[in-house]
This record gives sequence, C-alpha cells and structure tokens, in this order.
Amino acid sequence: MRISELPEIGTKYEIESPKGDKVAVIFLTTGEIELYVLEAGAEQPSVTRLTSEEARRVGSVLTGAMLTIEREDVEVTFSDISDLRINIHICPVTEGMVGKSIEDLGIRKRTGVTIIALSRRERTIISPPPETVFEEGDLIVAIGEREQIKACAREILGQV
Amino acid sequence: MTFLVDLAIVTVSCLALGLVSKYLRQAAIPAYIIAGIILGKSGFDLITSYDFVEWLGKIGVILLMFYIGYEFNFKGIREPGRLFAGCTDFGVNFIAGFSLGLVIGLSLIEAFILASAVYISSSAIVISSLIENKRLIYPEAETIVWLMVFEDIILAILLVVLTSIMSGSLAMIPVCLATTLLLIVFILTLIRRLSNFISPLFERDDEIPILLIFALIFGFSAIAYLLPALLSALAHFLGISLHCHISEVIVAFFLGSALSGVKSFRKLFGATISFKNLFLTIFFFSFGMLFQFQFATLSSADFVLALLALIALSILGKFASGALIGKRLHGSLETGLRVGAYTTPRGEFSIVLLAVVIGMGTGNYELLISLVVAYVIILSIIGSGFAKHGDRIGKIMTGSINKLTQQKR
Repeated sequence: MRISELPEIGTKYEIESPKGDKVAVIFLTTGEIELYVLEAGAEQPSVTRLTSEEARRVGSVLTGAMLTIEREDVEVTFSDISDLRINIHICPVTEGMVGKSIEDLGIRKRTGVTIIALSRRERTIISPPPETVFEEGDLIVAIGEREQIKACAREILGQV
Repeated sequence: MTFLVDLAIVTVSCLALGLVSKYLRQAAIPAYIIAGIILGKSGFDLITSYDFVEWLGKIGVILLMFYIGYEFNFKGIREPGRLFAGCTDFGVNFIAGFSLGLVIGLSLIEAFILASAVYISSSAIVISSLIENKRLIYPEAETIVWLMVFEDIILAILLVVLTSIMSGSLAMIPVCLATTLLLIVFILTLIRRLSNFISPLFERDDEIPILLIFALIFGFSAIAYLLPALLSALAHFLGISLHCHISEVIVAFFLGSALSGVKSFRKLFGATISFKNLFLTIFFFSFGMLFQFQFATLSSADFVLALLALIALSILGKFASGALIGKRLHGSLETGLRVGAYTTPRGEFSIVLLAVVIGMGTGNYELLISLVVAYVIILSIIGSGFAKHGDRIGKIMTGSINKLTQQKR
C-alpha cells in the first residue's frame, strides 16, 4: 500500500496486485471518494465517485467482517468466530398474516425462525411476545439460518 | 445606491459568461477578464465606481494567496525528485520567457515580470483537468500536482523580490526584503504562540470564527501597508530617506501557512474558499475592466509577432521541461510529454502576479500588460485544450518522435 498526498486534491491510497492491476482510492478534499481501477495493460482506468456513505458500504463488503446484504437479507458474521453466521431477514408482513399472532402462525415451530423485532409505524418492538398480533404495514426482522429463512419465506410469507 | 448597480453588473455578467465557459468546457478565467474588458473602461464604461470594484477584487487576491499558503505543504516538497522537477520547470520556462522579453525590447525588470508570468501554470485548470481526465492513478499526476505546489512557493518568492524591486531605488531593495522577512517571522511566531488561545475560538458555532479569520487577514494586510509608512516617517525623523513596500498578499500567504498549523481552523476553511471564489472572480473582472485596450497597439504587426512568439515559446518550454522531468522521474518520454501538455495552461497566477507587481492600469507598463493579458487569455484557452487531450498529445508526439529517430537510423 502506497499513501501519497496530492495537495489541493486529497490523499491517494494505492495498491498493485501481483498481476499488475492497480487500485487507487482517493479521498478528495471535498469529502467524496474516487475509486480507480486500472487493469494491467489497459489504456484507461475505470473511475467512480462515491459519497462517503457509499464508500463505507463498499468498504464493509470488501472487509467482509460485518455485513453482507443480499436483497433484504443481512448476514452477520463475526471476525473472531469465523463459522458463526446469522442471517437477518427483513420483510413486510404479507396479507395472510394480518390479524394473526406469532403463536397462531407457529413461526418458530414450523420454520425454526425467531422474530426478533417488529417495526410498526416508526415504533419498534424488540423481542415481541408470541401473542403479538401482526398489523398491516408491519416490518418483521427475523433471524435464522439460511435454510430456515427460506422455509419461513415459503411457508409463512407465502413467497416462492 | 450606485454600488448595487455596479455589483449587479459584475456578478450578472460574470455569472453569464462563466456559465457559457463551463458549458463549452473552457477555463472560466478569460471569460471573467473579457466580461471586464467589455463592460469596463475600454468597453461600454458602465461601472460607476471603478475604485469600489477594484477594492473588492484586491480582497480576492489576498484570499487567493491566503488559500495557497494554507494548502502549502513544506514537508512534501523536499523530496529530491520533486525538487528536481520544480527546478527544471522553473529554469527552462523562466529563462525562455526572460530571453524573449529582452529580444522584443523590454527592460530588464519588465522581462523579469514577463518571465514570471510565462513560468507559472494555472493550478486551477491543471488540477481540474487531471481529475476530469481520470489521471489521478498515474504516477505523473503526483509529479504534476507537486509541480504546482513548487510553483506556488516560487510565486511567493517572486512576489517578495518583485515588489521590493518595484518599490524604487536599488539601495532600498535590501531594506524592503528585510522588513518583509521580519514581518513574516513575526506573523509565524505570533500565530504559533497564540494558537492555544485562537484554537478554541475557531470551534465556536457563531459568527466569531469567520470574524476572527477576516480580522487576522485584514489586520496583517493593514500592518503590511502601514509598517513601511511608519518606518519612513521614523527614518525621516532621523534624517534618512527611506521608502519601502511590503506586499500584503505575501503576508496573507504566510498567514495562511501559519494557520495550517491550527487544527480547528480546517472546519472554517471551506467558508474562506467560498469567499475566495467570489472575490477572485470580481478580481478578474476588475482586471479586465481597468485594462486599457488600444486597438492600434494590439493589432500592430510587432505586437502580434511578439505575442505569437511568446505563445509558441511557452508551449515549447513546458513540453521541454516536461520531457526532462519525465525522463528523469518516470524514465519515459511519453509521460514527460504528458506532463508538458498538462502544465501548459496559464491563468490566475500570471494575472495576479502582474496586478500585484505593477498595480492595475498604471501608465508605464501598458505594452507589458497588454502582452500578458492577451497571452493569458489565449494560453488559458489553448492550454486547457492541451490539458484536456494531454494523453493523446503525449502519445502522438512520442509516436512522431520515434518515427523521426527511426528514419535517421
């Protein structure tokens, strides 16, 4: 990794792969971040300009430690416990669920998935009790293994 | 309320021409100067108070130098490669400008000023084309950016030297230099001493930080103006005659670099940049507005010939210095020619130097001023074209050079 100052522009972090590809990250003084990729032998680099928030997301994907986002699934892994992966599924309640409680639906029994939170009109219920009744517009946050989440999507949410 | 009319004329015309130049993807600096020429003394003469606009413009120059001083990085410049690059750039281009100045019959001092204007590239154009052309990943981008930094310090030195020389008799030059240096040392130590006291003031959320920064800038500029008067009065009292002049923009430069050591100032820096952009635009307008446009001089064969020679020579100069730098630092002629193409545009600094050193619209230097104004307008346009297509130009030139050398063999 090479770090260099570019006065009036920003700071450049540069890395070259053994194949000769170059990647540079430039923190502009404006607060934005430019990401350069120059393939070995290529005429022109590819460049994209990211906001600091976008850059953070790209960064966390690359570091792989914290979050990977796949549709509305979030997989949490822990840097120290490499084999522990928890899938967090976020989805709105579907029509068939409205008016029924967690217990009625037997979510835990049928799929193994646990509802850990419910977001309801800007109010969040953390660890909702089994008798909690779903309302229209609720957002469910559920955890489980990948297979369990799939089963939940199929059987409870009615998604294929 | 005529000042409102003046302000409206300046801002509206600059906005319009600025927009046009951005739309055409050209440098905006010549657009502002041209707006000034059209609406000012040589054109429609619409401004009621030239002094007022000129004063606002002067604030722009002070803020520009403050900005450069703040961004200036003393540590990075000392790397040997950068030092070599900077000195080559200065040596080749300054000498080219100086000798041409003498050839076309300028005095020594005029040739010196011309050479300074020819040497200094436009950081604004160069840096924006580097970003636009996606060159930042290449090693020469670093070289080019550091060349701009090196030019800044040379500009500061040139300004100190030239304002001292211009202040009058030969004997006074050392006096001027000495008082300027003394004031600089005074500012640097004062800010360092006071930094514990100043630092928390910059962190406030009210109007105090911005007031403080302008109080410092205008305060020290005023000292730069008053100190020579005080000294000459004192000398007069002692029966010695003494005239010297301290450039307020130099003071602003060193104030900026002193404040870069104060960490909490960073947050406020963005606000000062906005002020700089506004007032600097007014400066370019005011420069054009005071420009004595003489059609007879400008269209005379000698003038046109001199201008063309100057343009050709300064483009060649940058390519030559670029080639030397590229060979030495990157081991490649093509890279060097790219450096040359990117550093071709001239702009704000040439005009600022001219304005600071001779003052605007003063009598004796009409030929020199006309020459430099026409030169900067043309070279900022040609230069931004060069910078925009820097990669292609580098490639084509190396291609043809290679062909030539092969034919010889």
